[in-house]
Amino acid sequence: MSGAFSFTLDGNEHAVSVSARQPELVLSVDGVEHQVSEAGALSEQCVLLTVDGRSYQVWRTWEADRMHIRIGGRSFSVGYEDAISAAQHQAGGDDVLLADMPGVVVNVQCEAGANISAGDTLMVIESMKMQINIVAPRDGSVELIHVSTNDTFDKGAELISLHAED
Amino acid sequence: MFESILVANRGEIACRVMRTATAMGLRTITVFHHADRHAPHVALADLAVELHADVPTAAYLDVEQILAAARAHEAQCLHPGYGFLSENAAFAEAVEQAGIAFVGPQSDVIRLMGDKIHSREFAVKAGVPVAPSVTQSGSVKQFVEDAAQIGFPLLIKASAGGGGKGMSIVRNAAELPDAIRTATGEAERYFADGRVYAERYIDRPRHIEVQVVGDGKGEVRHLFERECSVQRRFQKIIEESPAPQLAPALRDEICAAAVNLAASANYRNAGTVEFILDPSGDFFFLEMNTRLQVEHPVTEMVCGVDLVEAQLRVAAGEGLPWAQADITQNGHAIECRICCEEPDNDFRPATGAAQILRLPETEGARFDGGIREGQIISAAFDSMVGKLICHGDDRNGAIDASLAALDELILLGVSNNIDYLGAILGHDAFREGVLHTGFITEHAEDLAPAEIDETDRAAILIAAALGVDDFRSLVFDTPEPYASIGGWRN
Amino acid sequence: MARIQSHIQTNSSEFRQYYAHNRKLVEEFRAKQDAARFQRPQKDLDRLAGHGKMMPRERIDKLLDPGTPFLEFSSLAANMAYDGDAPSAGCITGIGMVQGREVMLHANDSSIKGGAWYPLTVKKIVRCLDVAIENRLPVIHLCDSAGGFLPLQSELFPDKYMAGRMFRNQAMLSKMGVKQLALIFGHGTAGGAYIPALSDYSVIVRGTGAVFLGGPPLVKAATGEIVTADELGGADLHTQISGTCDYPASSEDEAIAIGREIVSQWEQPTKWSLQRDPIEAPYYDPDDLYGIIPDDIKRAFDMREVIARIVDGSRFHEYQPAYGTTLICGYANIWGFKIGILANNGVLFNDSALKGAHFIELCNQNNTPILFLQNITGYMVGREYEAKGISKDGAKMIMAQVGSHVPKFTVMCHGSFGAGNYGMCGRAYDGRMLFSWPNSQIGIMGGEQAAKTLTEVKLRQLERRGEAVDQANLDGVYDETLEAFKHQMSAYYATSEVWDDGMLDPVDTRNALGMSISASLNAPLDDKGYGIFRF
Repeated sequence: MSGAFSFTLDGNEHAVSVSARQPELVLSVDGVEHQVSEAGALSEQCVLLTVDGRSYQVWRTWEADRMHIRIGGRSFSVGYEDAISAAQHQAGGDDVLLADMPGVVVNVQCEAGANISAGDTLMVIESMKMQINIVAPRDGSVELIHVSTNDTFDKGAELISLHAED
Repeated sequence: MFESILVANRGEIACRVMRTATAMGLRTITVFHHADRHAPHVALADLAVELHADVPTAAYLDVEQILAAARAHEAQCLHPGYGFLSENAAFAEAVEQAGIAFVGPQSDVIRLMGDKIHSREFAVKAGVPVAPSVTQSGSVKQFVEDAAQIGFPLLIKASAGGGGKGMSIVRNAAELPDAIRTATGEAERYFADGRVYAERYIDRPRHIEVQVVGDGKGEVRHLFERECSVQRRFQKIIEESPAPQLAPALRDEICAAAVNLAASANYRNAGTVEFILDPSGDFFFLEMNTRLQVEHPVTEMVCGVDLVEAQLRVAAGEGLPWAQADITQNGHAIECRICCEEPDNDFRPATGAAQILRLPETEGARFDGGIREGQIISAAFDSMVGKLICHGDDRNGAIDASLAALDELILLGVSNNIDYLGAILGHDAFREGVLHTGFITEHAEDLAPAEIDETDRAAILIAAALGVDDFRSLVFDTPEPYASIGGWRN
Repeated sequence: MARIQSHIQTNSSEFRQYYAHNRKLVEEFRAKQDAARFQRPQKDLDRLAGHGKMMPRERIDKLLDPGTPFLEFSSLAANMAYDGDAPSAGCITGIGMVQGREVMLHANDSSIKGGAWYPLTVKKIVRCLDVAIENRLPVIHLCDSAGGFLPLQSELFPDKYMAGRMFRNQAMLSKMGVKQLALIFGHGTAGGAYIPALSDYSVIVRGTGAVFLGGPPLVKAATGEIVTADELGGADLHTQISGTCDYPASSEDEAIAIGREIVSQWEQPTKWSLQRDPIEAPYYDPDDLYGIIPDDIKRAFDMREVIARIVDGSRFHEYQPAYGTTLICGYANIWGFKIGILANNGVLFNDSALKGAHFIELCNQNNTPILFLQNITGYMVGREYEAKGISKDGAKMIMAQVGSHVPKFTVMCHGSFGAGNYGMCGRAYDGRMLFSWPNSQIGIMGGEQAAKTLTEVKLRQLERRGEAVDQANLDGVYDETLEAFKHQMSAYYATSEVWDDGMLDPVDTRNALGMSISASLNAPLDDKGYGIFRF
């Protein structure tokens, strides 16, 4: 779709685009058009949004590339990537192992430059009383280890970078 | 009464304790790690002393530094809050030896109650019912045999543990050796004490606890019970008082047992006796927590007392502030623990910044918080950032007030369980009071976030898009006649 | 402003007849346009898809702000040239909106002979850059071209308005401070290499984009060096070593995203402040236009009915409504923009020519852009009118029109014959935009008139030489002339030769004009001033 903005909700990609601005604002979500109006701010951070005749109080805030939204009394987390990053991501995968939850490094079982095989445990992390192995996703070699034992890290933190595949 | 107090804690409990202390005219001193330098408890205290440690939690566990701070700033008493050093007998001892009043029980009582095996034996002697159990004394092989004697299912626990760490349920003999090994490992790692024990596991048990306050000379008052059955990962998230559908005779029996135990120990200050309640009405001693509980506010609301004030008066030697007959239950109170976590992702802790924080203004709602808007929630500390406590004339009223307050409570910027708590309170089984510790597992499907339907999805995504500056500019900054002509092609 | 009172009977047989006729013309137009845009040999489509390349229209759609219009120029350029080998002259040009900024787009279509430049391609690109210069429009070049079409080099390379003019125009734009961005999706060979090199910013797609003066075959022929296109002029060479290009992109999508972000860095243009009123849709349905335009080029119709279906609220302030009535003059709004309109309602007489000249002066005095709606057979001929000075009155109108400092726009609504074309701002008169309706015709005179005139000349010639008059011969002259005129007078021929900025479905006229007026406001107004009026 042309000029669409890409969002992730519940693990799925969705495209939001502008269909018309006048006489009514019409936005399309995954190709389906919706009449939209923004009644303005109820407070500094809260706006009243009307979609297809239904009104919602909306609170929004950003956390890196995620937006936390409270709408209609429920909270959701929506991922957003700007067009350039989204295009880059589509073009190729990356070689960085990321933490999928916050935690602490229990130990590191590899070193920079080491050759590794898919399935090797590279690091053990602990979060929420669970120890989790960080496993090599493919054969290759370790470029950089971003954290050390006892370091705490946030969700999405870079743990280990592998040398890019030739 | 004391003139000054050092609160050796952080977060909501540090704030909570200081609120009462300040109201009573005490000068408040607290401690903090660099990571907490912008935290509310630091701002709230008359004086905040920085503690140094590589790992933030280690700062709040550093006995030497805390005592040095207390001495340097002439704290007359020390309140340990909960967690951290609150149930560390050696710490309590060191505090008393430094000539500072410890706002808590005697160190030997802490030591006694902190050991699951000894406390259990003590309970048996005091005539308090305990669940059949076996303690590891010799080889693992022997322990496996002894444990199997009790019958399955069995609960394996770390002897020194608490908070669900090192706990597992074993449903047959084959699973037992592995479970013991795991529990031993975790017990060693968390408590530096690998001893474990096994006890009868009760299906659909309720967790009922009794708030007590003792004078240290054998006088003990109870402030009735709390129901803490709604738990996830063995940790409470919703507590209430009174316990729903608890026969008055049974309530009296449980409260009497708690008083009996505490009195036998000459218990001093506030403490909580925890019981497991079998669906048949049998109840068994679980453990005694020798500190103020997270969920103490429900008791405060229902009984109309200030437990921190009572703690300080007892510690100051003023004796118990109430006769037992003074204490009555009035209405109903529910506490919801607000945690930064992902309920739909196995309750994994979440980090981020509390960018928007709006507290409820509902009547009868109390928010005990330890965060401020903009604060960074890191993995360094516990995921609980506050508690919402609501009172009602009856249980339905308390539920309705809680739901209204949860709706008004806005914490945005870091994933949290506010909606999930709402889902629990809104569940029919909760409303009916059919509670047990497996409530969340049993109703997991109902409690999972409702499927996002097409209408919701469109609204969410549109709200998101309109929060993106580039998108807004595309929508609202397109000049005429382009905006009006629209997507025309010639 | 009062609303025009329409007298059209939409249920009359005449209306229905015209409607059917014009609908058919528009369907033919749309079919030709569709073919020019999308009909390609399968092998060419396969080749592009194999390289992971988008079609140029797809790139344009992604580049433009969603839900905003694109005014495409000359979609049927070259439709009657090169045996139809270069539909749309192998390129797409037009005005659109990127990040809220009006821009000129120039896109090569490599599905047509690798995007090679035919003579009419060059003419179309030069024209779009002229439009950019006249209207100070930033240009985005979507480069994907093999360079000049060698077999026709003499018709596209050497002369003043040929290929060199593209680069001259690029340099002029830059000198004027008008920004240019090149997105290099494919090859920019030879002349094609200068387009990014003369742009302020360029983005090149890794793998498919390449820029070089001589491609691999030429290099091999010249020096014997064997080299791949990527080694010779790929993204890494130009963004890391030569500095010819600025940004590498891993895909066409990324190149477009980077391009959009570059445009969002550009200052917002400051337009001159034409009077603008709230936008109002025409009161009368533009669809009626099909039933208003006659099916015969000689049949007259009231141009007020056309105005009523183009302007805001169908409102029109008519100037001198009782004088020189064959030329309608007055003010209206289009998409809120104040505009002066001159519309033919018959042959131009002395009084209508004088009225036109005066009204043009009024528009200039008031800084009001002028729209010419042409349906003109010319200025009146005959002794009486010569005696009244029809030539000098016509000259006054041309003098006023040429001297105008306000932007001018022209729509060929029906006939455009003789000097009337000149007075009414024909192609030679530097109007900012000129569009043709499918039914329109253009020529020095009408076809039948020309055939009669030439037959008459032939007859006189024969008579002078004392030769016998062969009626069959005369009929031959008549038929040949008529046939040639018919061919060359058609709107398709005009648009094929880029005598206009494209053919329009009449109902699209309002949108096209709205965007044209909007674009014209980017260029500051010149000083006022005229030549000598002959009184």
